[in-house]
Amino acid sequence: MLVLSDVTKAFGKSVAVSGVSVSIPKGQFVGVIGRSGAGKSTTLRMINRLTDPSQGRITYLGEDVTALRGHKLRDWRRRCAMIFQQFNLVGRLDVLDNVLMGRLTHTPGWRSATKMWSRDDRAMAMAALDQMDIAKLASQRADNLSGGQQQRVAICRALVQEPEIVLADEPVASLDPRNAKIVMDSLQRINRHFGLTVLCNLHSLDLARSYCDRLVGMANGRIVFDDVPAALTESVARELYGLEANEVMAPQPAPVPMDLRTAITA
Amino acid sequence: MSGIGLKAEFLAQRGRMEAEHGPALIGKGPGVGSAAVAIAGVALYVVGLYALDISPSRIWHGLGQLGLIFALMLPPSTGGHFALYLDALGQTLSIAFLGTLLAAILSLPFGFLAARNVVASRVVHVLARRSLDTVRSIDVLIWALIWIDVVGLGPFAGALAIACSDFGSLAKLMSEAIETADRKPMEGVAASGGGWVMAIRFGIVPQILPIFASQLLYFFESNTRSATIIGIVGAGGIGLHLYEQIRVLEWQQVSFLILMVLVTVAAIDFVSRRLRLAIIGRRAV
Repeated sequence: MLVLSDVTKAFGKSVAVSGVSVSIPKGQFVGVIGRSGAGKSTTLRMINRLTDPSQGRITYLGEDVTALRGHKLRDWRRRCAMIFQQFNLVGRLDVLDNVLMGRLTHTPGWRSATKMWSRDDRAMAMAALDQMDIAKLASQRADNLSGGQQQRVAICRALVQEPEIVLADEPVASLDPRNAKIVMDSLQRINRHFGLTVLCNLHSLDLARSYCDRLVGMANGRIVFDDVPAALTESVARELYGLEANEVMAPQPAPVPMDLRTAITA
Repeated sequence: MSGIGLKAEFLAQRGRMEAEHGPALIGKGPGVGSAAVAIAGVALYVVGLYALDISPSRIWHGLGQLGLIFALMLPPSTGGHFALYLDALGQTLSIAFLGTLLAAILSLPFGFLAARNVVASRVVHVLARRSLDTVRSIDVLIWALIWIDVVGLGPFAGALAIACSDFGSLAKLMSEAIETADRKPMEGVAASGGGWVMAIRFGIVPQILPIFASQLLYFFESNTRSATIIGIVGAGGIGLHLYEQIRVLEWQQVSFLILMVLVTVAAIDFVSRRLRLAIIGRRAV
């Protein structure tokens, strides 16, 4: 059980996250939704401690993770793997080495610094790549891969960390619909198959509805909705997204610009 | 725990992974090659120490002399020449400033000519490269001696010497920065209808400008020290006084002069840090 109690983050005078309290049981697939700037990324980053909260506490299985330092902090980060919108791979390293970054906390420093990964670690990384259908790319440089492939490498890196929670910050926002589906399916698979808790920031309501067990809606740094996807009515969505609501919900024919319309009928 | 399940499942496939992807899995990490290079490097170092007769005992015996000189340096004293020294320091600073500026102006076009991704013609960029190598391979001290013969003793020769030697280094650094610049912005400008010049102007120049600025500021700081050295051979500035005082063993005045240079370099470093942050700050996330 991951518990955020009254967590607040202020950057100077602007408050990104304000008094967020939420409990997430093990194994749940939670979608965090809301428009850009609602505080979704900051919340996720605070859980991984990439950002420190200004106020409030985050606990996991009763342990206060906001107070962790040094080795314990690094171990906590291993337990809650992070997946980024821009993948955050090391472009000049090959795919296998990128995945092996997930084994850093399991490996003595001198071994990892000289890339003398153990046979077990390499086999694990390769098995993870194999599961994501990209084992044949193992020796390619990461920056030669397409966005969808890079995100799958990032998921492999997260998996070999042996995490208990996966935090995905807009994992599909930079991907085309087909690759977005592949990545979301992968997240669903690791959630179902390994029982990992998944916390996923999503911009698209359709994706959130079809993949998540539970949706947490944020607006202006506060939680304004927390329920099963079915309870997310159109009026709540409008409140969450404002004018963007039409864009993020069920596909509707895009409005044709006026001059084009006359051109077509003419 | 779910984590353990994950590892067990992945490790269960180890045999299959090694059978299917053997080549990708083996032969990673530092191999025999890098070990050999490391050993060769150490061996070369030892040979060098031996060939040049460098021994710790000689340093050890010299230490007493060094301590004596330090003792003689205290307390630093102007010897009544403060105004003269200040004037000379100003001269050194202007040598460094004018020299660096001239080098910068010359280095930009040559940097572009020597960059492979800007100049398509192989002949042009190889020629540009080789001439830069030639200019660079002559040290600032030699340039100073040459220019003193051409334009006579004084700061003008010093500024020209610095301009010549640094123009080569700056242009080389610039051409390398240009070659590692991201190509995508260039493509974006070209796709919008911009010509070759505009693609460079807006696709590359904004990328290399912060690098160029920080190199330039560092060169100015470093040249303040170089200008001191070339002053010794007669190119003007504080170096001449430093040399004179060392020759007549006026160690107190030597230490005062050294302190003056130290304070100046520290001040330049302080200002250049501010300037660099201001230039980068606009691009920072």
